[in-house]
Amino acid sequence: MQLAVNIVVLSAIYALIACGYVLIYRVSRVLNLAHGELMMLGAYLLLATAASFAGNPVAAIAAAVVLSLAVGILVYVFLMRKMTGEMVLAAVLTTVALGTLLRGLMVLIWSAQQQYPGQALGFANPAIALPGGGRISTFAAILVVTTALVYGGLFVFLRFGRWGVRMRAAGQNPLLAAQRGINLHAVYALAWGLSTLTGSMAGMLIALDSGLTSSMTVIGLKAFPAALVGGLDSLVGALVGALIIGAAEVLSIQYIDPLLSDVVPFLVLIAMLIVRPWGLFGTREELDRV
Amino acid sequence: MRSLIVAAAALATGAFSPALAQDAYVVGITAALTGPPASTYAPAVDALRIYIDRVNAAGGINGKKVNLIIQDDSAEPSKAAANAKKLLTQDNVVLLLDASLSSTYAPVVAEAKGAGVPLVFASSVCPKEVYPPANEGQFCTTAFASTYDSRAALAFVKETAKEPVKIGFAAMAIPLSRGEMEFAAKQAPGLGMTALAIEVIPPPTADYTPFATKLKDAGANWVFSWAPWVTQVRTFEALRRLDWKGDYIAWSHLEAEGELKRIKDSRLYVVGANALFEDKLPIQKEIADAAQKAGGKYPPEQMTEGWIAGMVIEAALKGAGWPATPAKIQASMQNLKVDLKGLRGGPIEWTKDNHFRTKQYYRVYKWDGSKVALVKNWFSYDVK
Amino acid sequence: MSRGMPRASGYFRTDYAQDLALTQTRLERASLLAFAVMLAAFPFLATAFYLDLACQVFLAAIGALSLMLLTGYAGQISLGHAGLLAAGAFTAGILFREFNAPFWVTLPAAAAVGALLGIVFGLPSLRLRGLYLAVSTLALHFVVVYLGGEYESKRGYSTGIMIDAPTIGGYAITNGRVWYFVLLVAAAATLLICINLLRSRTGRAWRAIRAHETVAEALGINIAAYKLLAFVISSAMAAVAGALFAYYRHFVSVEAFSLFLSIQYVAMIIVGGMGSLLGALLGAVFVTLFPYLIEAALQQLPNAQSYAGVLFAVNYAAFGVVMILFLLFEPLGLVGIWHRVQHYFLLWPFKHRPVAGAGK
Repeated sequence: MQLAVNIVVLSAIYALIACGYVLIYRVSRVLNLAHGELMMLGAYLLLATAASFAGNPVAAIAAAVVLSLAVGILVYVFLMRKMTGEMVLAAVLTTVALGTLLRGLMVLIWSAQQQYPGQALGFANPAIALPGGGRISTFAAILVVTTALVYGGLFVFLRFGRWGVRMRAAGQNPLLAAQRGINLHAVYALAWGLSTLTGSMAGMLIALDSGLTSSMTVIGLKAFPAALVGGLDSLVGALVGALIIGAAEVLSIQYIDPLLSDVVPFLVLIAMLIVRPWGLFGTREELDRV
Repeated sequence: MRSLIVAAAALATGAFSPALAQDAYVVGITAALTGPPASTYAPAVDALRIYIDRVNAAGGINGKKVNLIIQDDSAEPSKAAANAKKLLTQDNVVLLLDASLSSTYAPVVAEAKGAGVPLVFASSVCPKEVYPPANEGQFCTTAFASTYDSRAALAFVKETAKEPVKIGFAAMAIPLSRGEMEFAAKQAPGLGMTALAIEVIPPPTADYTPFATKLKDAGANWVFSWAPWVTQVRTFEALRRLDWKGDYIAWSHLEAEGELKRIKDSRLYVVGANALFEDKLPIQKEIADAAQKAGGKYPPEQMTEGWIAGMVIEAALKGAGWPATPAKIQASMQNLKVDLKGLRGGPIEWTKDNHFRTKQYYRVYKWDGSKVALVKNWFSYDVK
Repeated sequence: MSRGMPRASGYFRTDYAQDLALTQTRLERASLLAFAVMLAAFPFLATAFYLDLACQVFLAAIGALSLMLLTGYAGQISLGHAGLLAAGAFTAGILFREFNAPFWVTLPAAAAVGALLGIVFGLPSLRLRGLYLAVSTLALHFVVVYLGGEYESKRGYSTGIMIDAPTIGGYAITNGRVWYFVLLVAAAATLLICINLLRSRTGRAWRAIRAHETVAEALGINIAAYKLLAFVISSAMAAVAGALFAYYRHFVSVEAFSLFLSIQYVAMIIVGGMGSLLGALLGAVFVTLFPYLIEAALQQLPNAQSYAGVLFAVNYAAFGVVMILFLLFEPLGLVGIWHRVQHYFLLWPFKHRPVAGAGK
């Protein structure tokens, strides 16, 4: 039972991070390799708002969420917008550069010390006993619920929302979308904002659950195989991919060698790239578009 | 941009003019001030800097100032190698310090050996070379030491446990920590304990629960961890979340005192060689005052390690006289005894073939419900 | 992409021998000679620290050149370059530790392992392009580093594998100046190999693949073979650079080959200028010296010592900024700037090149 809980929690973490990769890729064909850094920035923003909204945790969290949305939009407006029309590789390398810059800045501002935003907000993190004998910490449970809500929300938004439909259209054919009067820059900015928002939420919840250090970015990178295994342009894919990667990691810890947990996501990724490079739920044409 | 040009010019002119002999003891240190493991090293280096500043303000050593040159290597071996080379060839240091991850040792040792300059490991784990018979050029002031630490921890477990002990181990996926946990697992049966699996945990892990689940499922009633603090404490917290009721013993790193107060769990023990600030010794008050005056970035209870390094370096330089050469300092360090005024159980004593200490002392602390309290007072092992 | 313009003010070649020559004008030969003399004189003037910097630049240059072949010419993106360097370094380290092999065994062995890994890294390129390929090389990087870490742990080299200096006829290479020349020769040899590869059928095939795969195939180029060849050659070079690094620093450990190192190599070819060997060299110089420049800049500020703790972070941030600035404003990199300066002087007092054909 505990094994199942562990798989669900880890998968939820990966899924919440992975949907950020998918959102941006689906709309603008850019792979955001700074996602791990943006996610950590979200966690540090929470730490900052916790200090300025002392005694009002709800306001602090709300402020951090709004700020992270703004960060994503600003990244697009001031940086990635300049890369539209450039080689895809150039855009990806720009995100790599952005990641490097952010990592440096975060250490400068918040140092490399271990931090506890949960403590700063005055939250306890008691474990909840589940029927069937498993246990889950409060924030891990919140994270699972958040992931479910985020995915549910995104499905509805992309299916029925006015801007969601625009985002899908821009992803399918930017030229036609632009001719139909869709403001591509606004759509891209929205994608970056939402992606950073979901990533930041993952960062905040992980930090609330178990503390915050500057090595969190690596977790962002480990979630990235999940997005690819499922198919970079598919949200369902990201969910399923996260489940596969999470399960593979937890099971290899439990039954094979805990050390393998570091490489297993990438081994699954390589296997997938050999067998079905466009991912489980991705569209095949994607391969030729990049 | 202008400052960059100035810098480039400075760099270019510096290329052809070796640093002149200075009227001071030049000591260099390569340290992990940033990077993932920085929280273990940066406070110690800050403390060392404050200590040396204080020594200089009080007139220096043998009438000469100490020029401490700090280089950051962010725990990267190649950067550490370049730092060591620069310190040795450009700044002409007479003493080199390494306060960084163990993966930086190989290149730094190689550089120091090539230049014939003694090397002190301060706040970074003591390598085997400083145990008797010691390598002539390597010394260590750091509290933690492989094999002795495991012996101390296991001895404490044996003494404290009332039921038969089934002990699990949590290591970080770095060779040093893994090696130590393997050593401990081999020792445990000899003490009448059942040794369970060693969980080797990669440094950045999204969720520690899967590892904790394995320890709990194996039926451990004790867990011992000798790893960087992050791994030790997150594994413990994950275990508690799984409703594990056992006892946990971990190494008392710099962060330990603050963390014991944060976690408030009376069955989390920390074993270590440094006295915690809960003791309120006069020297600890002195450290706290000095830190406050110098505007130290870190809480004073994290500064013990760097302070001890400072005391030892001061004594070594004093013994070497003026003008100091690397050889004279090395000779001075091979016959050195520094009273640590209660910061540890006994003095740091270096001899010709022991560059660690002749007796290694340990203490165990835990949270007793209202404060950090001593569980077991100084007990020692002869270092042979 | 900018084609390297001949340094003569026009195109004066009249036969193939002239076209094959590496230098065209007397000024070019003279400046090349002057540069060679400068390189030869440098170690006798510089301090040990600057010698070390020069050696680092040479090592980086070998790695950057090999990556430039792969990415800048053959158009295959790799984010796993550090993995290849690691493979070379570990080959040297393991052979030395386990069999006490001399360097004339370990260096070719490193090249062989690199070539083999090149096939492994290159296989996905037969099916994948662009991003997907980059990702597969990234994944392989993690696998290589994992294997290296396992070896270190299992054999108890917890603080890294130490390697003795290479010996030639009983003489151990430990002296910084000797190392300078060894690495200079290695870098120069790599450069020559690259230049000649690119002037041959292979180089032209690579460029064709990079420009348009389908067209290249229609021209009768065996795409699969040439792609794999690019990976094999580039990886073998990178592995040799890794092995040289191991000997130069006397140690091997996984921590020296982080993902950031791969990023640094990618940065070298971007900052230097894609599709130019000169760009790879300029990029290697720039990226290697950049952190020292930042450090020297911080030293100019008052109260310099207290910045030591933030230096790494400043370096990181500044490095990111520089990469972004180049990507945004100077996609041709340093070599683009270099060519603009050249054009300016070549065409002076005019501002624009003559209309195509008019100059012939």
